[in-house]
Amino acid sequence: MITMNAGTPQAKEVPAQITEYPRKFVAKLSDLEPDVPFDFNYPDEGEYSDNMVVKMGVKAGGGIGPDQDVVAFNYACTHQGGSLYDSYKADTKSMGACPLHLSTYDLTRHGILISGQAYQSLPQILLELDGDDIYATGIFGLIFGRKDNLQG
Amino acid sequence: MSTPYYIPDENVPLPPKDADVITTACDYCIVACGYKVYRWPVKGGKNGGSTAETNAFDADFPVAPLGPWVAPNQHNIVLHDGEPHHVVIIPDKDTEFVNTDGDSSLRGGCIAQKCYNPEKPTRDRLTSPMMRIYGILQPVTWDFALDIAAEIGKYVIKKHGANAYGVKTFSYQYMENTYAISKYALRSVNTANFTFHDTPSDVSSTPGFRDAGFDNFAPAYEDWKNAETLLICGTDPYETKTILFTQWIMKGIQNGQKAIFMVPRKTAGVAYAEQNGGLWLDVTPGTDLLVVNAIARIIVENGWQDKEWIEKWVNDKWGSSSGFGQGTRNTPWQWRTTWGKFQTKGFDDWSKWLLSQDEFKLDAAAEVSGVDAAKIQLAAEMMAKPKEDGTRPKTSIMIEKGFYWSNNTGNTQAISALGITVGAGGRPGQVIGRGGGHQRGGVKGGKYPRNKSPMKLPGRRRRALDTDTWTMAGHTRFAHVIGTTWIQSMLGSQQMSARFHELTRGNPHQIQSINREKILETLKKRVDSGGMVVVNQDIYLVDPIGNQFADIIFPAATWGEEDFLRANGERRIRLYQKFYDAPGEAKPDWWIIAQLAKKMGFEGFDWENSNEVAEELAKFTRGSRKDFNMVKVAAKREGKTLHQKFREMGTNGIQGPVFMNDDGSLEGTIRLHDTTRKLPTDGPAALNMFNKKLTHFNSQTGKCNIQKSPWNLFSDYWEWMKPKGDELWCTSGRANERWQSGFDDTRRPYIVQRWPDNWVEINTEDAKKRGIESGDMVLLSNDRVPSLKDTTLGVEGSDYSFSGQMANGNVEFSEAAVTAVAMVTRAVKPGVMYMDFLHVSQPANALAGRVVDWISGNYNYKMGVAKVTKIGESPYKHSFRSMSFAPRDIVI
Repeated sequence: MITMNAGTPQAKEVPAQITEYPRKFVAKLSDLEPDVPFDFNYPDEGEYSDNMVVKMGVKAGGGIGPDQDVVAFNYACTHQGGSLYDSYKADTKSMGACPLHLSTYDLTRHGILISGQAYQSLPQILLELDGDDIYATGIFGLIFGRKDNLQG
Repeated sequence: MSTPYYIPDENVPLPPKDADVITTACDYCIVACGYKVYRWPVKGGKNGGSTAETNAFDADFPVAPLGPWVAPNQHNIVLHDGEPHHVVIIPDKDTEFVNTDGDSSLRGGCIAQKCYNPEKPTRDRLTSPMMRIYGILQPVTWDFALDIAAEIGKYVIKKHGANAYGVKTFSYQYMENTYAISKYALRSVNTANFTFHDTPSDVSSTPGFRDAGFDNFAPAYEDWKNAETLLICGTDPYETKTILFTQWIMKGIQNGQKAIFMVPRKTAGVAYAEQNGGLWLDVTPGTDLLVVNAIARIIVENGWQDKEWIEKWVNDKWGSSSGFGQGTRNTPWQWRTTWGKFQTKGFDDWSKWLLSQDEFKLDAAAEVSGVDAAKIQLAAEMMAKPKEDGTRPKTSIMIEKGFYWSNNTGNTQAISALGITVGAGGRPGQVIGRGGGHQRGGVKGGKYPRNKSPMKLPGRRRRALDTDTWTMAGHTRFAHVIGTTWIQSMLGSQQMSARFHELTRGNPHQIQSINREKILETLKKRVDSGGMVVVNQDIYLVDPIGNQFADIIFPAATWGEEDFLRANGERRIRLYQKFYDAPGEAKPDWWIIAQLAKKMGFEGFDWENSNEVAEELAKFTRGSRKDFNMVKVAAKREGKTLHQKFREMGTNGIQGPVFMNDDGSLEGTIRLHDTTRKLPTDGPAALNMFNKKLTHFNSQTGKCNIQKSPWNLFSDYWEWMKPKGDELWCTSGRANERWQSGFDDTRRPYIVQRWPDNWVEINTEDAKKRGIESGDMVLLSNDRVPSLKDTTLGVEGSDYSFSGQMANGNVEFSEAAVTAVAMVTRAVKPGVMYMDFLHVSQPANALAGRVVDWISGNYNYKMGVAKVTKIGESPYKHSFRSMSFAPRDIVI
């Protein structure tokens, strides 16, 4: 808990909220197998925090590593929240089709919609490489189901 | 216009508990999903919270899948009663029909971005009437703009005749507007120079359906789900009428439905069907008729036709001779009777003809169409082969523009006969109809004056005036263009553009004064010297019709800015409510037309609001598929306005035709031609009206006409058009993410990021041969675009063919070229390219011939041909921010 307007008559205790994206260790670059997604949670452990990081073997928008081919994305379809778990396609470097309404996303191009109904790109988890360590440092786009990425 | 760069938001405001909730439906495709607008003032900063107690959705965030999530693209800020308000627009999670599950497409899902917001790319909405003075459009008052338009309009009608006053208009942008426009053009001006956005003259889209007795929109959405086999021709509903696929057909497929797609391109819906027991018939453009008749032939050879249905519901010799319920004078009757090309003496006569045509033999049809013979055989079995227990599969057929705009008359005749053969058309789950493109918002306020059309052919036939050839010939002196690009939407687009320029800006008489008398004098000289004055009424400045050619601009108000009525593809009528202020001085089309009509001296345009227009037009819907006259009767009984009564029905609306029960309650119509429907035996009570089409088909006898569909009426054009040398077919159509000309989508950063430029899909093999890779900028050119110089010319039946018109010297040739970004893909048939159908700067229609179907008068838009060459690389080839070159057929 923190105190708002401390020292004034309006002083009030409210729950503390994260206002900045945490920097979180995700995986070691050397542990990533080509085209095999590795799952992690971010920015918290709450609903729709399931993401995956994948080394695609081709250069991608926002990609890190020597080949700029490592990217991470959220698993919740930005149409109606269907789970994209286990839908990574190595031949097209894409996610989907979503089992609910068949949306597909291009992971080489910041998760842009290839075909389908989503209202925006798949949220991309921003990554940093520190030696061999991959860190998640932010999110590009609103996660499905939430009104705010950090406040749920 | 938006730049191809989009930075997504990471949070979104939620509506508070006391937000206004207003129902509407989506503005775009035929399906018209139900939506709710949540509106609350910006002032006070009172947004909703994350808990069910603190937001208008009564939902805790994060919400569950399918829940009332708000994507940042679903929020906007608008003016309401002059005060800034938040709006959140999401699919109605409570609707009982259409978009059940609260589903929505990308188009409708982002419709909040349609609203005018001067801080967003919609800032260039037309907000004031304008007049071109010294070549530049400048704002003027409504009174001044209307006065000049009316004076010149009156002058043109008096001096050059009513047919010199052309009206080219949308057919669908709400009933109140189409009624006012057609009342003005057809009843008051009484011009034959009138047509809609998608056709050169006032003709039927599906001549074969009309002849067979099928309404285009008879089926209910539940029928598409409940069919056991569904043949879909010329469209992938997933790409074009999304929710009809995701909420209805997809659920059918999950229940075991076999979906057969006949299209040259594999998109997500086709891929999903194939993955789940369906079939892809990868047809070469223009050869659909051969595949359809080959299927029919297999069915007849095996005796798989629906004998009981045919016995009861197909006309014999006497039945078909009794006519089509429309009289012979205004129908292309010579083709059926005098020349005997279509009419039959019944099913046996048709079968005899079918079996006598060598081109419908399986191997012959497979070779020309490029569809594997085994797949054609399998399609016939799926559609008609009795099951092991002896029962028949319930089969339905859906067609759309890829099919009926390829060989308009031939394809629609062939599919109607196949439909009849498999028993589709009049029972639940066994239907035939169009999938639909735009929504159904047309109500005619006057009768088309066909007898004033000069395009009269030997015999008694008189064709509706072809407004394109008429205008190209210089006969249109005043063009009133409403909500359509006209030029790029029609064929031979680039020649039309050059001619429009010649008639307007190329004429020496240009306004160079603000003085009323001088302006009138100049414009009168323009029209008297063979030029043309253009008035353009739209929501944005359209290039080139408004931007380059118009003398006067009328700014229109649209969706959300006025209360309007419209129907969807299952005839469901809803009120699309006003929820914010139209920008500047923009006015709804009915209002603009009413003021102009009054200045022209016409009577019957004294409406105060759109409800008054709706109450007047209701009676003209009687007997039509959207008959809702009884809703007005009910409203009056209850002391309400018509719009008020519809408002109470919310997103559910009611399906036309609507009837009133004895207790005063209203009842809609699930499907037309419903042979299982029981109407009251004592007939219609009070003001109710029972039309034949409720329980029978649209012919004199109420039974279907089964007609022939000869390939040779079209094959000469197909042979002539088909790619020669290095050419490829270049057909066109929609992409899910864009609507029509992209007038809204080009102002949505996310959609512009996805589709920043015109594009063309090229098969991997074809691209390789030409050294083309995804992301290359290519030039598509056609140096032999044919156009008809005049209306179809001839005396004998044989004159009415492409070869006949060539022999009569009525065809001229020109060149066309458009650029596009190449998308090399496995998902389009070799030999065929596919382009977005309407990029205003790079119109696909320029590559197809401006030659009407000589029987129906419609264009065959999908028959484009082009050479494709690489001219460089687009900026999207090596950057990652915009566009995607991944294929559109990726499955689960």
